[in-house]
Amino acid sequence: MENGHSNSALATRPHDRIKLNVGGKLFETTVSTIRSGGPDSLLAVLSARPSDDQNPVFIDRDPEIFSVLLSLLRSNRLPSTSSRFTKQELADEALYYGIESHLKSAISPPPFKGIDASVVTTIRPAADGLSSAFTAGADDGSVWIAHAGQISGYDWNLTHAGTIRTHLEDITSIRRVWPEVAAVGSETAAGLHFYDFSGGRHVGSAHWTDPSDPRIYKARVTALADSDTSVFASFDCRHGENCILVIDKSTLQIESEFGRQNGSSTKSMVPGKLTYLPERNVLLGSAVTAGAFGYSGYIRLWDPRSGEVVWETIEPGSGRSSRFGDSFADVDVDLDESTLFKICSQSGDLAMADLRNLGDDPWVYLKDKNPIMRNTGGAGSSVLHCYRKQVFAGIDGGLEVWSRMEEREREDIERESRVCEGSYRRNYVDKVEDSERGIIQRIEGGGDRLFVSREGVEGIEVWESSSFSGVASVL
Amino acid sequence: MPPFVSSMPPSNGYHHAKADSNIITVDVGGQYFQTTKQTLTLAGSKSLFSRVSDSQLGGVVPFIDRDPELFSILLSLLRTGSLPSKAKAFDIQDLISEAQFYGIEALIVSSLSNPSQFEAFNLEKSLVLPLNGRDSPSAISTTPYGSVHIAHGSKITSFDWSLQRKSTILTQFSAVDSLLAISPSVAAAGATDFSGLQILDLEKGFVKETLNWENATRSSSTVQAIGSSSEFLFTSFESGRRNSNSIMVFDIHSLIPVMEIGHCEIYGAELDSAIPATKLDWVSGYNLLMASGSHSGPSGVMGNIKLWDIRSGKAVWEQKEKIDCFSDVTVSDNLSAIFKVGVNSGEVFFADLRNLGAENPWVCLGDKRKVVNGKKEGVGCKIESHGNQVFCSKGGDLELWSEVLINSSRKSEDGLEDRVFRRNLMGRVKDIGGSRITHMGFGGNKMFVTRKDQQSVEVWQSSVRGF
Repeated sequence: MENGHSNSALATRPHDRIKLNVGGKLFETTVSTIRSGGPDSLLAVLSARPSDDQNPVFIDRDPEIFSVLLSLLRSNRLPSTSSRFTKQELADEALYYGIESHLKSAISPPPFKGIDASVVTTIRPAADGLSSAFTAGADDGSVWIAHAGQISGYDWNLTHAGTIRTHLEDITSIRRVWPEVAAVGSETAAGLHFYDFSGGRHVGSAHWTDPSDPRIYKARVTALADSDTSVFASFDCRHGENCILVIDKSTLQIESEFGRQNGSSTKSMVPGKLTYLPERNVLLGSAVTAGAFGYSGYIRLWDPRSGEVVWETIEPGSGRSSRFGDSFADVDVDLDESTLFKICSQSGDLAMADLRNLGDDPWVYLKDKNPIMRNTGGAGSSVLHCYRKQVFAGIDGGLEVWSRMEEREREDIERESRVCEGSYRRNYVDKVEDSERGIIQRIEGGGDRLFVSREGVEGIEVWESSSFSGVASVL
Repeated sequence: MPPFVSSMPPSNGYHHAKADSNIITVDVGGQYFQTTKQTLTLAGSKSLFSRVSDSQLGGVVPFIDRDPELFSILLSLLRTGSLPSKAKAFDIQDLISEAQFYGIEALIVSSLSNPSQFEAFNLEKSLVLPLNGRDSPSAISTTPYGSVHIAHGSKITSFDWSLQRKSTILTQFSAVDSLLAISPSVAAAGATDFSGLQILDLEKGFVKETLNWENATRSSSTVQAIGSSSEFLFTSFESGRRNSNSIMVFDIHSLIPVMEIGHCEIYGAELDSAIPATKLDWVSGYNLLMASGSHSGPSGVMGNIKLWDIRSGKAVWEQKEKIDCFSDVTVSDNLSAIFKVGVNSGEVFFADLRNLGAENPWVCLGDKRKVVNGKKEGVGCKIESHGNQVFCSKGGDLELWSEVLINSSRKSEDGLEDRVFRRNLMGRVKDIGGSRITHMGFGGNKMFVTRKDQQSVEVWQSSVRGF
């Protein structure tokens, strides 16, 4: 990248250059630099004037911020002088000149690596700061947080983009189904509701009803997932009966219903977690209860078109898969690798199953000999989240990551032989101090960030990797 | 019209440039700079500056689309070889990336992190490099210009020479016990519970090659120590069944095995040959490899130190350590001496490399009476040599040993020994103490120190050299 610039850096022809007068300060640069912001940017438009005009182009903006942005265009990195301005100021100014994509790529953190991440900030909504749910759906590092009855949005820069008040008193599930539309549900109020974030309006809702059964009444949403065209919501009635509704994303109308069960035992409880697997067009649902005799629950795959159960496992009890007294506490799916992961409630061990080859006992238990992890595990609350080919596990307050070693680019190795139980390494992401902040409630990745919320702790933590060493002076 | 609008040097004070072809004018981001051809050639033929001086021939002032203020700093660097004091107003990372653009990063490196600027007596604890996660450092390796690689748990984190940037890779080891940087982005890593020496690409994070030792029992070969000279890579292997050990010599560039030295098979209860070398130090002045290893048993700690001649593959000197065995040992080329810290006494000893024939070559530099005590005061002490000094850690404290050079005729009058070594406790009062020091490394003008249970690396450097 740098070398590519150096070829054009030595401009000797005068008409390749352009002079700018920004707020009274003169700048001289090349046309190619100015145009690197893209054809639609203000700067590119300004550079397109006749070359025989020798007068500098006057722009009535702050020259100091411009010099930062000019450095960005020249070198593709932000100079240290940018620290004089807030990220918001830079973003606004970059938007004015039409080069915000340049700024985004320079500000955004490097690819997220669980083995090298730290907390960069904690987002705390101003009122009712205990976050009950959040969604990082847009994949640009932005996040929408539901706290009590409000939804607060934070953009890719983690700047507060706005807060809306919903009619619900306690949102417990939220999913960003369109760039500006959130689907929300509450365990204390009926129905699934859609809110337009920019306008702050209620735009639709879906309720589970059954004309032939009057007991299906005031069903509440427990979990949400979405595909490109549909939203999947699990509904639960007061007497336990539950089902999954498919809602069309564009009309916000109910399309179909499947997976109806009576909720009388752990095998037929409402799923507490839903994930849509686009590659296979199946919906993964899981339910876990913690009782006096330990954890129990099921993992089930449905085909949403037919509503049939494609595969299921029930723990404890089904097949040889469950380790005695160590049934799973949470499950998640790595979409990139088509692998299902579960975490054991007692031991904290991780097991994986190949989604293309699910049978009676698909589980392979991962091994790790990291000596500092030896005394972990034990009956705690466990949360699992797969992101960017890494598996994040929150066990009580501790945050762990299972990651695979980089593979040398070689085509002749079969994928089957690469993914085996020995290829994952288990490491702590956090430090002991971090784990003392509270029990991890929810983990979700978005962009190059990982968001973590903890029980009874205000706000959500933002974890990022950084190529900056973080060197600190102790003189 | 402002004077810099025209690209041809008109009558604005720059007409001298045409008269004297040795003077180069360059326009950087709208500001004119003048310098000589000689100054620009200092940047090297691959840099952008060499093209600037070439393009001057046409009589047109070349234009470089970069920040003029940063350029003025780099021009000062070219002129004087060192950064001007006004560079402190800039961020080091800005200067480095600008120097990378012009292709003169090496000049910044040599002005800020030159090994010749290492001042042992002027080191103070100045920086801390934090490591993410909960693992403490298990091995450390430095490069001559001050970049450092730290193994912690199954990860290796590398810091660049300016200590501003880092990167982390995952390895197959559960903990790396030996680490050695071979080139800026390649390192050799091994562990005592993992078979084979892995050559790792630290940028991309994959294993380039795995080197193994074919032992007689055909069991795994664990790595006990790694060392290197300019030509060779030395690795001390032990068989997985722990009944044989050997030192393999590889060509450091091609990684092809060159020879095997010190192969030991263990028969019966012969303990001495069962001790693999756990430290390999190359003594370039003597063309010898020092290999040392120790073993802690019910009768105390015993060990051996051997000097190997690589050309003949024979040990030229061997020292068996029974009384007050070393806790750690190092060799100093500049001082022509081996230094050890005794495991019982906790005192530093030296053995003159020019005079190793004696029955007991060790000269105690501290309290000689402590040699026979059974207190094990020296457990966990580390000793490393760098330049003309020897650094010894005792618990959380660091000692600096240096030789006092005395005119030979005066020695007898003052009642001094043949060679006089004196020590200093390093650091200011606030730096002294802390957790036990586990590793010391030296690179550029810096010393790196890691401590037990601390997920960070301390950097000690001269006060005046800090940017």
